[in-house]
Amino acid sequence: MLSCNDICLDYVEATRVTHALKGVSLDFSPNKLHGIMGPSGSGKSSLLYILCGLKSPTAGNVALDGTSITNMSDAACARLRSQKFGFVFQQPFLLNYLTALENILVGINPDELSASVQKAESLLSYLGLDGMGDKYPSMLSGGERQRVAVARALIGNPDIVFADEPTAALDKDNGYKVMSALADWAVDHTVIVVTHDADMLKGADVIHHLIGGCLVDDQPSNVR
Amino acid sequence: MRHPLSPFTYLTRNPSKVLPMGFVIVLCVFLIAAVASIANSIDLTVRTIYRYTEFFTYVIPQRSTQSVPMDQRAILEMQPEIDRIIEGGVFFVNIKTVVGRLPFVVIGSTPEERDYLLKRIRATLVEGRMPEEGKPEVVVSQPILENRNLKLGDVIAGPLDDGGIAGSPVPVKVVGVLKSDIWVAMSSRTFTDKTFLLTPKCLLFTTKVPSDLDVVNERLMPVGRKGDGFLSPEKVNVLTRANLLAEVRDSLSSMYMIMEVVSATVIFVIALMSGMLSNIYFTQRIPEFGVLAALGISRARLMMKIVWETVILTVIAWAIGSVLSVFLLTYLAANVFKQRGLFLDAMDPWAYQHTLPIPVAITIFAMVTVWVRLKRLDAVSVIERR
Ligand SMILES: Nc1ncnc2c1ncn2[C@@H]1O[C@H](COP(=O)(O)OP(=O)(O)OP(=O)(O)O)[C@@H](O)[C@H]1O
Ligand SMILES: [Mg+2]
Repeated sequence: MLSCNDICLDYVEATRVTHALKGVSLDFSPNKLHGIMGPSGSGKSSLLYILCGLKSPTAGNVALDGTSITNMSDAACARLRSQKFGFVFQQPFLLNYLTALENILVGINPDELSASVQKAESLLSYLGLDGMGDKYPSMLSGGERQRVAVARALIGNPDIVFADEPTAALDKDNGYKVMSALADWAVDHTVIVVTHDADMLKGADVIHHLIGGCLVDDQPSNVR
Repeated sequence: MRHPLSPFTYLTRNPSKVLPMGFVIVLCVFLIAAVASIANSIDLTVRTIYRYTEFFTYVIPQRSTQSVPMDQRAILEMQPEIDRIIEGGVFFVNIKTVVGRLPFVVIGSTPEERDYLLKRIRATLVEGRMPEEGKPEVVVSQPILENRNLKLGDVIAGPLDDGGIAGSPVPVKVVGVLKSDIWVAMSSRTFTDKTFLLTPKCLLFTTKVPSDLDVVNERLMPVGRKGDGFLSPEKVNVLTRANLLAEVRDSLSSMYMIMEVVSATVIFVIALMSGMLSNIYFTQRIPEFGVLAALGISRARLMMKIVWETVILTVIAWAIGSVLSVFLLTYLAANVFKQRGLFLDAMDPWAYQHTLPIPVAITIFAMVTVWVRLKRLDAVSVIERR
């Protein structure tokens, strides 16, 4: 289980200090889709980056199954991200010189590559992208690209998927497609989705509200 | 299937980024290889033109005498390795070289001695005949004819010849052509004796085993320590391959130094340029590396990816540059330089050795720049598009 305890984050600029997070404590129970909602600037992205080890908090601690990841070395943290975590960002960030299939496989260890190709193809068809594996990102629509990014997040069989506004650049239809794939994953894994679009969190098991860097409530909203 | 992050995947799919860099390296390799082999060609030219010194050594009397003094000749006769000692008359014809016109020696000897010497260098008559006794005639090997752009029957030396000691009071005709790579020209002793009254007579000697020649030369008059040998430098001088090369290399040493400085500068500038190029390319690829880092690919692996991309590119470009240089220099050597009396070895290992620092320097420069930037790479700012 992923949990964070009393997370604070200050952004220090030349003369100004922004208190982006002011003591956030949360437990992300497994096999659930967790939503994090809040207005713009409330610290949602910052929290997500800290949870997945891409950023260090000013104070507080993040632990995975009881082990702190906050003070891990860069290399250990990278290993953790590649083995246990999956990511979907607001933009798909596909490499333009790789095909959809290759983009899905970028994070795979070279020795597991051949075994993963089959899996990548089934992920493509699961996400409604049959026959698009050979296409380069420039030949795909925005929604298709984002679904490729979802496949890239899921290929490594991650325990936890982090998604920051995965639907923000998509229309409703594509947004639902992405969210339903994430909800399916949440059946036996942990999924944490940051969004400001309540519609997209209809299938969430838990929704955490963040306002001005503070957690407002922590109640199940829409239990499946 | 090749791994998506394999350096080959990047290199083959991004020709617009890979080719300009590769092109710069190819050009640079050619430039350095050409400069180095041209510089080295002077040495090779001397070795080519004076290759007869591999087969026999000249002993030339110093100014005061008309022939080698008897006591010096006696010393030669005491050397057990020496096969024959031949006294010959000499005169000179002009040849074209990079450093301008040079006199080339024509040996006047008896028919028997001439046959002996030509057999020694394995030169055979392919056209015409041997010079007649007392006539202004010479037999020369093919490279000399090519160099002078002459053919059988042409005049090779005459009263109007320019420059120094070359020339003859009567026009001297080429009556025979020898098949040989070795530059050699021969006339009759009777002709040289009656025509070149003031030119001293030389001795030339051969050894029983040709490879002994260097040893005997060194014993008679060591390179750089002329006084320490059996012969006395006040009375005679010897023309050997070793002292010819020593003199040439000595007089060219500052040119070689300049060349080293030039090639070092070129390599440094190219490495600097390609360092800046890889910096630009890296900037363009920051989103790529930022996302890969966020996905959990370690900096070390990203670094290795870039290093391999650079190594593969520079090595391939170096190989292409070298092959291209061999072809271009072979062409230039045969069609441009040879006519000008410059012998260029298109596969001079020394020249290609000089191009080796190019891929090394470029790889090191690229690695350092990229490592610095990779250390500072912040995945979050890439994802947040800052
Ligand atoms: N690199 C930074 N330097 C300084 N301040 C920052 C930086 N990143 C974020 N902030 C500030 O921290 C606060 C939280 O930012 P954050 O990106 O976490 O918000 P958010 O909830 O994700 O907003 P949005 O919904 O607009 O993405 C904001 O006030 C923002 O201005
Ligand atoms: Mg955000």
